[in-house]
Amino acid sequence: MKKQLLIACIAFLSFTTIPFISQAQTIKISGEVSTPLTIDAAYLQKFTQTTVVRKDRDGKDHTYSGVILSEILKNAGVTLGPELKGENLTKYLLVEASDGYQVIFALAELDKSFTDRTIILADKVDGAPLAPADGPYRIIVQDEKKPARCIKQVTAMQVHFVK
Amino acid sequence: MHQLKHNPLLSRQSLRKGRVMFLLLIFVIVSGWCYVDGGIETGPYNLVYPANFGNRIQIPADNPTTKQGVYLGRMLFYETKLSANNKLSCSSCHQQDKAFTDGRAFSPGVDGVLTPRNSMSLVNLLWARRLFWDGRANGLEEQAVTPLTNPHEMGQALSISAQRLSQTANYPVLFKLVYGDEKITGDKIVKALSQFERTLISANSHYDQYLRGAYQPTPDELKGIELFNTAPQPEKGIRGANCSHCHGGPKTYMELFHNNGLDSLPKDSGIEKLTALATDRGRFKVPTLRNVALTAPYMHDGRFKTLDEVIDHYSEHIEQSPALSSFLRGESNEAGGKSLKLNSIEKKQLIAFLNMLTDSAFITNPAFSDPHILSTKNKKH
Repeated sequence: MKKQLLIACIAFLSFTTIPFISQAQTIKISGEVSTPLTIDAAYLQKFTQTTVVRKDRDGKDHTYSGVILSEILKNAGVTLGPELKGENLTKYLLVEASDGYQVIFALAELDKSFTDRTIILADKVDGAPLAPADGPYRIIVQDEKKPARCIKQVTAMQVHFVK
Repeated sequence: MHQLKHNPLLSRQSLRKGRVMFLLLIFVIVSGWCYVDGGIETGPYNLVYPANFGNRIQIPADNPTTKQGVYLGRMLFYETKLSANNKLSCSSCHQQDKAFTDGRAFSPGVDGVLTPRNSMSLVNLLWARRLFWDGRANGLEEQAVTPLTNPHEMGQALSISAQRLSQTANYPVLFKLVYGDEKITGDKIVKALSQFERTLISANSHYDQYLRGAYQPTPDELKGIELFNTAPQPEKGIRGANCSHCHGGPKTYMELFHNNGLDSLPKDSGIEKLTALATDRGRFKVPTLRNVALTAPYMHDGRFKTLDEVIDHYSEHIEQSPALSSFLRGESNEAGGKSLKLNSIEKKQLIAFLNMLTDSAFITNPAFSDPHILSTKNKKH
């Protein structure tokens, strides 16, 4: 009986410690959204995968693949498409990385009715998962001259009104 | 007993004692009243800083900065009654002449146990959003609770600190002046401390003077500035130290958290302890470089005693690991090089620039000094 209790205790402890040993990175989407989301790799697989080719620091073209950012935001109930007018045009997306780095995009920069430039949340580069120091998720902005907004290790996205 | 009661000599003595005590009491009350009412300015505190520091400042709505609040915060910052052994104050680990560090790798608490991480410099906290080497506190108010109550730091519950201050002559009056109520609480203590800390603004180093056109750097300093702000591109013949990637801007401070290659297997796993993410292993807050010449030893564990050692680390000793920050990978002044490889002249030039960040007005500003010293001066000397 004691033995069984011990085994049960060990099993319970291992259950509780597993999440702390290896946690999968997620992205929290919050702010001016009707459905706050916490998304992970499996969630991203539900969307059509899109590729963007752009140069990295090595000066070479790389093919990044992932999901168009506005598609994910639409699922969170962000005012895009026909709703993106009036005061909604003063909304922005704040993207945060695990190292504390932050960048913003105006919602209009992400919307297909405003621009053909593709901005994706990538999880692969040249067919392979992103390197740990870059991933697992990175924003890739098509054709932007500087890579400064191609924010790496994305952990959170918040939609806010300009105050 | 009967005799004693009617001994005229003794009654006169006790009468005299009573008078002396009464006069002393009057003196204490009057001096206490003068102290609070006479010397303390009240009203909103005007935080002054250069425009190029930007206005992304952090003041919680429920703790606006007032002159009386800053005054109280300064008193508390230097108050040893806030520690369990009555010997430590915030200033024990944050000394003004060392740009609010303590010159040690780790700091002993009330029980003599050393802190696990190096005591950070307190400067330009008005802009700080996440505090501690792992950024776990959102704001100064939240941060202050830890060193005050941790058993290996000041080791005293806030409720006890509040009670001890309540028993003094001056603090209840001061708290009333700040909060409109004599009742002292832990929350009010940390709020006042935070108000004082927000005033610790350093913006008058040679570098600041250079940025506003009031100081002409030496050739070495100028070259140091250039190296600091340049990313190396050996294929184009551009040499640089790439420091501004993390320490750039007029504040030499960006709130970033990085694994800077100190170890391949770190003893202290840093932010990983909070997030359980392998990519956060050995990742720590990027500290400000303000007054960096005064804040040795360096790194979260104080492993480097000099700035030369720090620069040697970035130049030659970055340890590779899966969590090493990407901007430190393959960044080199040599084509295909694995490390920065600065030459000895460049290292000296960088240090010339780092010395420009010393702000002598900041470390001698009487507004940041120990306010208790005036009253205890005679006892000490």
